[in-house]
Amino acid sequence: MMRQRIAERALADGLVVAAVVGWWVLSRRLPDFLMPSPWHVATTLAGLFLTPSLLADTAASAARVVASVALSVLLGGALAVIPYRWPLADAIVRDRITPFLNSFPSVGWAILAMIWFGPTDAAVVFVEVAILTPFCLINILEGLKELDQELIEMGASFTRHASRTFWKLVMPMLLPYVMAAVRIAYGVAWKIALVAELFGVSSGLGYLMLKAEIVSDAATVYATCFAIVLLFLAGEKLVLDPLSRLIAYK
Amino acid sequence: MPSASSLAPAARAAVRPGMTEARRARLAAHLFTLAFLAAWWGYSLTVPQFVLPGPVPVAIRLWQFFTTYNLYKHAFASLEHILEAMAISLIVGGVLALAAHYLPVLRLAVHGRLSPFLNSFSGIGWTLLSIVWFGVNEFTVVFAISVVLTPFAIINMREGLETLDRELLEMAASFTRNRWREFGKIVVPALMPFVFATLRISFGVSWKVALAAELFGGRTGLGYLFNLAQQNFDIRLILVVIIVIIAFVYGTDRIVFAPLQARFGRSDASMVP
Repeated sequence: MMRQRIAERALADGLVVAAVVGWWVLSRRLPDFLMPSPWHVATTLAGLFLTPSLLADTAASAARVVASVALSVLLGGALAVIPYRWPLADAIVRDRITPFLNSFPSVGWAILAMIWFGPTDAAVVFVEVAILTPFCLINILEGLKELDQELIEMGASFTRHASRTFWKLVMPMLLPYVMAAVRIAYGVAWKIALVAELFGVSSGLGYLMLKAEIVSDAATVYATCFAIVLLFLAGEKLVLDPLSRLIAYK
Repeated sequence: MPSASSLAPAARAAVRPGMTEARRARLAAHLFTLAFLAAWWGYSLTVPQFVLPGPVPVAIRLWQFFTTYNLYKHAFASLEHILEAMAISLIVGGVLALAAHYLPVLRLAVHGRLSPFLNSFSGIGWTLLSIVWFGVNEFTVVFAISVVLTPFAIINMREGLETLDRELLEMAASFTRNRWREFGKIVVPALMPFVFATLRISFGVSWKVALAAELFGGRTGLGYLFNLAQQNFDIRLILVVIIVIIAFVYGTDRIVFAPLQARFGRSDASMVP
């Protein structure tokens, strides 16, 4: 069993090392604009976090992602509560708003936002919120469906304040689903952050990437891709994982 | 007593006859659609045409889209890219998941390294990289979509392989020594729901990725049409493409995938995001 584990580990890490070595060998044969060396990409990547002017772009993307995740969870939650409070609106939210938002192409939002709002921070956040909201909406809808109705009835027999049952009973039961919504939205947000920033804004990692693509600066294109992966992992390990442990403890 | 509106929907449905409730909800949904169109029309009157054209000009452009070969051929081009990429990613993802399942030593390499890596890399990153590698052509588009879809296939097929019924496999082993026969008769049928779930998820995701990939790296497809429309400030065409995609994605999901999955699948297999 132990040997099996070690072999598995060695193979997995060996694969990563082999990939980097293979990349390095390839980069020596191919021109820099096609396949920059791992070292070149690593220094460019470090630059994204250390050079002040580039760090501003990285921070701009991160700030937009955080703002969009927060807004889309709020908006998705608000939309999900509608059919819960007013069952008449059930089909409106489930059969109209959800599929509409869910199948709306993200590039479509990006182009429309640039036409409607021009290249501003607000436009980027709008695009990201529009893309993320259906994910939050679906998750929180699911959570509201799973609520323990008996518990809520019991709560209603103890207090007349609807807001009190909401905060004391509904919210705690809903929190895991909200957390799942945050998690999914966060994961998707980093992937589509680039798309949202490709059409006209002049800051952010997406902008850097497109600019690098135009001047055939492959190292920067690679580095922005890796920066996204790193930022995503950092946020998940440093913020989301502790947060969900905190919720699980309650 | 709390107000009636704070009662659970389930409780209310029990109080009233269910049928009329559902019918009223459906009516409300239709009214919502009409209200949406009316709001669109009303707002479009107050802003210039190039910001938001009204429903009628867009409907006219939609008619032109379906009657002009040079426009609707792009929809078929996109569909072709997507079907190719779905097939490729299902095969690659399936083979990787099977390899990790039958050769446990590969498990961490596939599920712990490759799949998270592919999963956290953004689609547009793959598109721009493949433009650098392969230039602007069909291959770039199909490659970018396939790479984005592959982790979905790996994750879903892994899910399927892990829920395989051990007892059933043991029983099969006692009936035949032929591993291939066991694979074909037990494993493949058990995996079918997950294959459909993968296809269904891939289809929804791939349209979104395809647009971005075609916009930057293609010479055909709806994404390319997007690019043209954006350059010509033809916002009506942009809205038409969006409408066509929404209708097609939602329609296919309802008309093709939902019945297929109801027939072959388990309902919870589609819950994998």
